Amino acid sequence: MTANSVISANALSVHIDQRTILDNLNFEVGKGEVFALLGGNGAGKSTTLKTFLGLMKPSTGSASVMGLSVAEHTNEVQKSVAYLPESVTLYGHLSGLENIRYFLSVAGIEKSDDEVFAALRKVALQKASWNNALSNYSKGMRQKTAIALALLRNAPVLFLDEPTSGLDPAAIDEFNALVSELAANGATIFMVTHDVYGACQVAHRIVLLSNGKVTGSFERVGDTPIDTEAVHAAFAGRKA
Amino acid sequence: MIINVAKTICADQWRYWLRTKVAATVLMLGAILTLAALVVNAFHIEEAAHAREHLQTEAEARFKAQPDKHPHRMVHYGHYVFRAPTPLSVIEPGVDTYTGKAIFLEGHRQNSAMFAQQRQSAGLTRFSSLTPSFLALVLAPLFIILIGYGSVSREREAGTLTLLLSQGTSRWQLILGKLLALISASSLFLLPLLLACLYVAFSSESPLVVLLFCLSYAVYFLLWATVVTACSALFEKSSVSFIVFIVIWMAVCVLLPRLGSSVATNAAPSIGKLEADFKVEEKLRSLGDGHDVNDPAFKKLKEDLLAKYNVDSVDDLPVNFRGVVAQYSEGRQAKVLNEFAEKRMGEELEQAYIARQFGWLSPTVAVRAISTILAGTSLETHHRFLKEAEALRLEFVQGLNKVHVEKLDYTLDMNRNASEEAADKAVVGADNWALLSEFSFKPEAENTRISNALIYFLQQFFWVCISALLLKAAVRRLNP
Repeated sequence: MTANSVISANALSVHIDQRTILDNLNFEVGKGEVFALLGGNGAGKSTTLKTFLGLMKPSTGSASVMGLSVAEHTNEVQKSVAYLPESVTLYGHLSGLENIRYFLSVAGIEKSDDEVFAALRKVALQKASWNNALSNYSKGMRQKTAIALALLRNAPVLFLDEPTSGLDPAAIDEFNALVSELAANGATIFMVTHDVYGACQVAHRIVLLSNGKVTGSFERVGDTPIDTEAVHAAFAGRKA
Repeated sequence: MIINVAKTICADQWRYWLRTKVAATVLMLGAILTLAALVVNAFHIEEAAHAREHLQTEAEARFKAQPDKHPHRMVHYGHYVFRAPTPLSVIEPGVDTYTGKAIFLEGHRQNSAMFAQQRQSAGLTRFSSLTPSFLALVLAPLFIILIGYGSVSREREAGTLTLLLSQGTSRWQLILGKLLALISASSLFLLPLLLACLYVAFSSESPLVVLLFCLSYAVYFLLWATVVTACSALFEKSSVSFIVFIVIWMAVCVLLPRLGSSVATNAAPSIGKLEADFKVEEKLRSLGDGHDVNDPAFKKLKEDLLAKYNVDSVDDLPVNFRGVVAQYSEGRQAKVLNEFAEKRMGEELEQAYIARQFGWLSPTVAVRAISTILAGTSLETHHRFLKEAEALRLEFVQGLNKVHVEKLDYTLDMNRNASEEAADKAVVGADNWALLSEFSFKPEAENTRISNALIYFLQQFFWVCISALLLKAAVRRLNP
């Protein structure tokens, strides 16, 4: 693990019921980097994410966040990361504002109303909807609420699960801009996705995952986005 | 920190219940039903207590107000005794509903208790009255299941469990928060009972007994809240956990108590009342007819008495031979009646003991045993009532027989049927009826009731351990 490494997988393997879900993963993600783990269904993306979130334990090897082994320091790691699930699963019986306050409260984070309002404004969630029940929110609005929560947690590391899935193009652009801004401010972003185009637009590095194994890697050079065609070919080829 | 987060999760669960109309309705319905049952029962018991106290005084006054009479006519005139309800029977009427509250006492017989409400109602007797204890033991767990079955599994199904755990919320904090919410919701059903207990504690009941009584119900509710929370965490889907809970509820609250009674009846069978009455009658007949001084059964008595007073004829005895025969016969009959009664009570107690062992399989059975024993409405207390009533019966019947022996002339007694005038002469003064003692039945002392309930507290402790283990397993296995 290098000194700049914020997230690292070292010979990380996960076996469930004698099935190999993750097979000897090795990668590192540096500070301020947007890292995308790209793979099809059943590739092992969600398992990788759960392992870094401390929701699953590695069978062998280790997963570390900010120099701490997730398996050994689960609670400390969880408190220093923010997680954005695929289908944003906040509480339907609460408003957007209540959801944010509740999750901050269970995480033991105190924020003033002004700070919460500022975060909601930053993610461009319409003020009129702040006090509406989340069950009436669109997927994009839920996504924005969850991002606002992640921002408020001031987490140096963000884990995103299929973050653009189900969003309209305008919302995807807004989201990508936000992710880039967070990374520019020093946040480390780890996303798992099967959206080749989206990943190429925003990621500094893309790692391909297939059947639990790393099968390829692409890196951005300068400000030029990663070549979508090359990633797509590799992704489709591997799948085939 | 653990408690703060748990309190936040608990508060959110309450917010969910209040905003979800179904949960709020279930909570309100349960609380109102418990309160209504308590108020109705309290009025009923209060009324019954006054009525029985009044009837007892009236029965005693009526007995003592009888005119000069033949003492044996007073033996058959008889007397009523009533059992006043205990303070805690407001919550736990126990066997009182089935056994009757009054007994008619008379010579030569041990009558059964009368005025049992449930005997007059058809079938499904246990469901025919919504007593507070029935609501607390059988229906409240159903309400707890209805509001709590999805408390954790809902988080898993909605996906919020992953988010919660990834925020650094520990599994213990989450489960503790959900448990606190369900315990506080359960206390809505418990609160009316506690208020009633508080009222009772300031009346004539022992505060320690009331405290233990409350504690047994509080622990019972805690058990259900713990099991419901734990199982909600253990099962993947709310629908599965709901079905499992309904099966558990049916087994624990309905089937096992019923099975316990059936097993007890088969394991310790007792003969039916009619058959028992025939046997008693047959045995009593062999003792002779106490109304007939010439019955061969009293030949030896007559000879012994003549020898004792050194006379040749009963006419020369200084005592009334008819009275002596009545006294002697009553004593022998009472012995036989008590033998049969003791046997029947022994069988009933054995059946109750077997049925209560099902408390190791069902916490409902354990708490029901504690509840009836502490409330003084158990089978044991009913048996004490029967024994005390029998002691009073024998005392006043033999007291009247003694008056018959000592205060009524034998010749006048033998000629009582010759004419109306002779009948009027064969009497004793009404002042003799003062021998009737006052009857006031009290349940066992607090120490006796508490020590009788100890084994069932142990059963409850066993269930607390089981639920704690279940909770620990739920925390360990809680995964998104």
